[in-house]
Amino acid sequence: MGFEFHAPATIDAAIALAQTHGAAARFIAGGTDLVIQIRRRRLAPQHLISLSGLGLDTITETSAEHAIGATVTHNDVVFHPAFQRELIALTEASAVVGGRQVRNIATVGGNIVNASPAADLVPVLLALDAEVDLVGTNGVRSLPLDRFLLDRGRTDRRDDEVLTRVRFAKPPAASASCFLKAGRRKAMEISVICVAAHLTGKAGAGFAEARIAVGAAASRTFRVPDAEAAVAARGEAAFAEAGRLAARAASPIDDVRASARYRRLLVTTLVERALRRCRDRLKQAGR
Amino acid sequence: MSSLARRVAGRRLNRIDGVGKVTGRHVYAADFSLPGMLFGKVLRSTEARARIVRLDVAKARALPGVRCILTASDLPALRFGTAVKDRAVLADGEVRFVGEAIAAVAATSLEIAEQAVRLIEIEYETLPAVFDPEQAIARGAPLVHEHWDRYAALPVFDRLGNMPGRCSMTHGDVEAAFASAYRIYEHRFSTQLVHPGYTEPRAAVASWDGNGDLVVWANTQLPFDMKNMLAEILDLPARKVRVIVPGIGGGFGGKLRVGVEHFAAWLARKSGRPVKVMTTSEEELLDAYPRQPTIVELKTGVSRDGRLVARKGRVIVDCGAYANSGPPTVAIALQVLAGPYRSANLALEGIAAYTNKGSTGSFRAPAGPMANFAVESQIDIIADDLGIDPLELRLRNVFREGDEGPAGEKVVGVSIEECLTKAADAIGWKDRKPSQGRGKGIACSWWLTTGGSSGVYVKINPEGTVSLVSGAVEIGTGALTGAAQILAEELAVDLTDIDVTDVDTEVAPFDHGAQGSRTAFSVGNACRIAAADLRRQIFAIAAQQWGVAPEDMVLQDKGVVLGNKRMSLAEVASLSQRSGGGLISHGTAIQPMPAHDPSRVKNHPLPAWTSPSFHAHATEVSVDQATGEITIERYVVVQDVGFAINPTYIEGQIEGGVAQGIGQALSEEIVYAEGRVLNANLTDYKMPTAMDAPRVDCILVEHPSINGPYGAKGVGEPPCIQPPAAIANAVAAATGVRVHALPITAEKIALALHGEEK
Amino acid sequence: MTRIALDLTINGELHQVMVELHWSLLQVLRGELGLVGTKENCLEAECGVCTVLLDGKAVNSCILLAHQCRGRSIVTIEGLGDPEHLHPLQAAFIECGAVQCGYCIPGMILTAKSFLDECRGRVPTEPEIREALSGTLCRCTGYQKIVDAVALAARRMEERHE
Repeated sequence: MGFEFHAPATIDAAIALAQTHGAAARFIAGGTDLVIQIRRRRLAPQHLISLSGLGLDTITETSAEHAIGATVTHNDVVFHPAFQRELIALTEASAVVGGRQVRNIATVGGNIVNASPAADLVPVLLALDAEVDLVGTNGVRSLPLDRFLLDRGRTDRRDDEVLTRVRFAKPPAASASCFLKAGRRKAMEISVICVAAHLTGKAGAGFAEARIAVGAAASRTFRVPDAEAAVAARGEAAFAEAGRLAARAASPIDDVRASARYRRLLVTTLVERALRRCRDRLKQAGR
Repeated sequence: MSSLARRVAGRRLNRIDGVGKVTGRHVYAADFSLPGMLFGKVLRSTEARARIVRLDVAKARALPGVRCILTASDLPALRFGTAVKDRAVLADGEVRFVGEAIAAVAATSLEIAEQAVRLIEIEYETLPAVFDPEQAIARGAPLVHEHWDRYAALPVFDRLGNMPGRCSMTHGDVEAAFASAYRIYEHRFSTQLVHPGYTEPRAAVASWDGNGDLVVWANTQLPFDMKNMLAEILDLPARKVRVIVPGIGGGFGGKLRVGVEHFAAWLARKSGRPVKVMTTSEEELLDAYPRQPTIVELKTGVSRDGRLVARKGRVIVDCGAYANSGPPTVAIALQVLAGPYRSANLALEGIAAYTNKGSTGSFRAPAGPMANFAVESQIDIIADDLGIDPLELRLRNVFREGDEGPAGEKVVGVSIEECLTKAADAIGWKDRKPSQGRGKGIACSWWLTTGGSSGVYVKINPEGTVSLVSGAVEIGTGALTGAAQILAEELAVDLTDIDVTDVDTEVAPFDHGAQGSRTAFSVGNACRIAAADLRRQIFAIAAQQWGVAPEDMVLQDKGVVLGNKRMSLAEVASLSQRSGGGLISHGTAIQPMPAHDPSRVKNHPLPAWTSPSFHAHATEVSVDQATGEITIERYVVVQDVGFAINPTYIEGQIEGGVAQGIGQALSEEIVYAEGRVLNANLTDYKMPTAMDAPRVDCILVEHPSINGPYGAKGVGEPPCIQPPAAIANAVAAATGVRVHALPITAEKIALALHGEEK
Repeated sequence: MTRIALDLTINGELHQVMVELHWSLLQVLRGELGLVGTKENCLEAECGVCTVLLDGKAVNSCILLAHQCRGRSIVTIEGLGDPEHLHPLQAAFIECGAVQCGYCIPGMILTAKSFLDECRGRVPTEPEIREALSGTLCRCTGYQKIVDAVALAARRMEERHE
């Protein structure tokens, strides 16, 4: 299980190392998943390129958007005041990744790039229409998270590319978000199902915008456009139907954690519940 | 403190080993090391049932740093075991479960040892396997042990084919009673494989000295049993084996028997160097001593006024590939199944079954949760059907003082009615209202205080301290603190004056072991005996010093007192050391076995329970009707402890035992599919976290035993017995869903409530 | 395999150790430095007995590579107090009967310390304490007296403005 451990001082140096060593190298941020996969002998990289100390560990904002650096830890997200105020779903999701010790090391970038179908932060970011920024030998590029995630464990990232940030537009004032997770115990869980919802209020019936993302119910986290359209058009009256549409869009598996049948039932329930909670949060905020 | 508290015994005092533990200075077997030590790893089978057709260690042996590789051909062909000697150290030509040890390697580092294990080449020829215990005991099943009849075994066990033990408890005439019963209820229940879940892996360091004597430092709960077992495995006289327990991070019955000690001993013997072997989490979930999965079929006849008139039952425990404690466990299941209830007519049968899965053992209250889940679920079902309050139905049928137990023994110290009533009051039983998604449940049980002897040496030192040398390991329960409190009480000193040594079989007197809720009870009794003799010695010395008769002397305030004469214990000890070798005494204790009716039991190693305890649990749960998620809102335990030697640590046993019981009730399971474990890791073997364990209201009842120190009864095991049944009953009250197979997962509840998905 | 020199600051002291690059911090603490107060069990960040403080925050040392800790400050249970001068958490754990077998206790105490430091003198609620401790498993106690001990220590530390 030997490997070389590199701690480059700049992103360019990191990219250069990645290009030199190709498939024999992996980037490491927190490493909470990577190190375990190496120990279990599922991965055997010969080079680890550390992304710590490259300045990717800050949360910034402009007037229009928030940006989370790739090596920001989950605990950093949980305690970020702006998120606690305006984007509670982000903190709700980050707060249930592993245990507190893992959340002090594991990173947002890692959660995205791992592309586990059960990644907790991904549904929230997807519901926020997030974009990811990448830097590689071919320069800088950005793409929507929805296009970046391909399948279980696969993203559009090339071996030499570093995911530097994930960005999303600041939600309108009259909006609310929610993240819900189901597991077999109340902590330290890999999601059996997780759901994120985001509603933007408007005068009159329906919502200006409705976004629903479901995790752990398919080989990648997915949005549910027909459910979103129904909720936007008909508001609360469509919440239950949204749950059913989301369940129909899911292709869950049977595994030691849960059966596919139960997962589908959870999708139905949790989507509806997440929407209700968003609606309640809007009401509480006087919207 | 205890309602019967004395100066020291009965008080909430700090445990004697606390400071070392909170400062990280307490050394556990997993921390222990010796200079020049090698590290051992084991090659484990990836097949459930196969013949080994090729085993080639050449490449592994050639790896630099490897000092020793052992396979079965390097060891004497012998089998060891507790009930049945059916197990070899390393699989000899055949494997019987995924994870079975095939070869052992010792190398200069753990990584090299792991690498060497991966270099061992092995080819299997698959053989027919059986994974289901009912299939295993049916005619025509492949034999897990082809030569089962050649194995030595304890004669009490009745063995046949894939059944390493069958037993029964019968009396009266169940068929006649069923024929005239008002109603008959028949149900089937099943429970799952759960791991003791200690946080310290099993670990042993073995070293052979110049005389050919073996010393093993290990985290075993039974050092004397381990000594004898290792002697047998190594083909040595027992005098050449010494076992020392530096410290143990939890056992719960999972560290009773040989785990890695024999690998370490053999590797050390062959390599000439000390060897350390530890288990990984994966190995723990493949090859350890988890609780047997169980199937219980229970048929109960009742009279119109709600009396249990007949009980017929069959318990099958799935031992896995090696019997270990399966046969005695299924026997104990029968008493649990009979419950703390009067039983006029009883026909209970227990069968231990072999299957091609990992072996099993004596996890806390062996057979307790499994059989209790069945009997206490069924009684609620009966109550519901008859329209009788489940509490009332129990109260109508529980033991009264002096009643006959299931083996015809006289049951004494009975407090079950009090426990049930107090538990019901505490949970607000009378305020139950039908409420969707919320419900209350109760469950009660009884349990034994295991016998077996304990010996202690006690010396009083010239500096005034007292040394307690016991053969019992402190596994974390605080039992040795409790025993020391009793000793301090008897000698009129403070708890902080008592030093307890680590267990070393070379110097400690024999102890039957830290198991079966017996430690504080038995060591405490031995301490009282030793203290009585010390008092005699002390009074004799003081008498001589003062020129008086020893009558009317008392121990008080760390000294011996007669009228206005006083001498400190330190002084007496000093005098004694100078003139007579010192104040030292030996105390032993063993419980007498109650008489029972042998015609009622067949092949049962423990037909009558010594110093039984009684307990009732009550819980209130809320159930998310959509997801099925269960939240324990309140949990109450009423436990008769006889005398609460140290209420803080008794509560600790209750709170911890309930948490383990909740794990069995709701989330834990070692999942097998076709002989393979699907979740051999702590990600998917789900023990309760701090967010899953509820607060537990502990109500201690003190109904003294006859045989226990100051009336104490065994405390440690009972709390894990009732949670599955109490929770099952509460969930049934909350949702109308009755789960017959543990664990009671959210999935089972949700799917039951929502039927087919749309 | 080649070993590389690594400077680690542990309990305020600088140690230079020769480590292989793939070694975890836990391996270095226990194997190279003999600091066996930090315990090993699952080695997969699922049980928390290996918890140490890294720049004051609780982390699982079993999955942290030693080299990821270069230039950072590590505190183990040995650095928290000693028998003559117990940290309030250590004293509270003893007083409340929160210690049984003790194997999870070093990790549990450090997990709690990290949490209480984040509370900055505010006394946390019981649900908050349980959530903060949920990454460290205890099999003996059922957590109740551990939670009580953390609450007691929090109150005392608040009184002393520690």
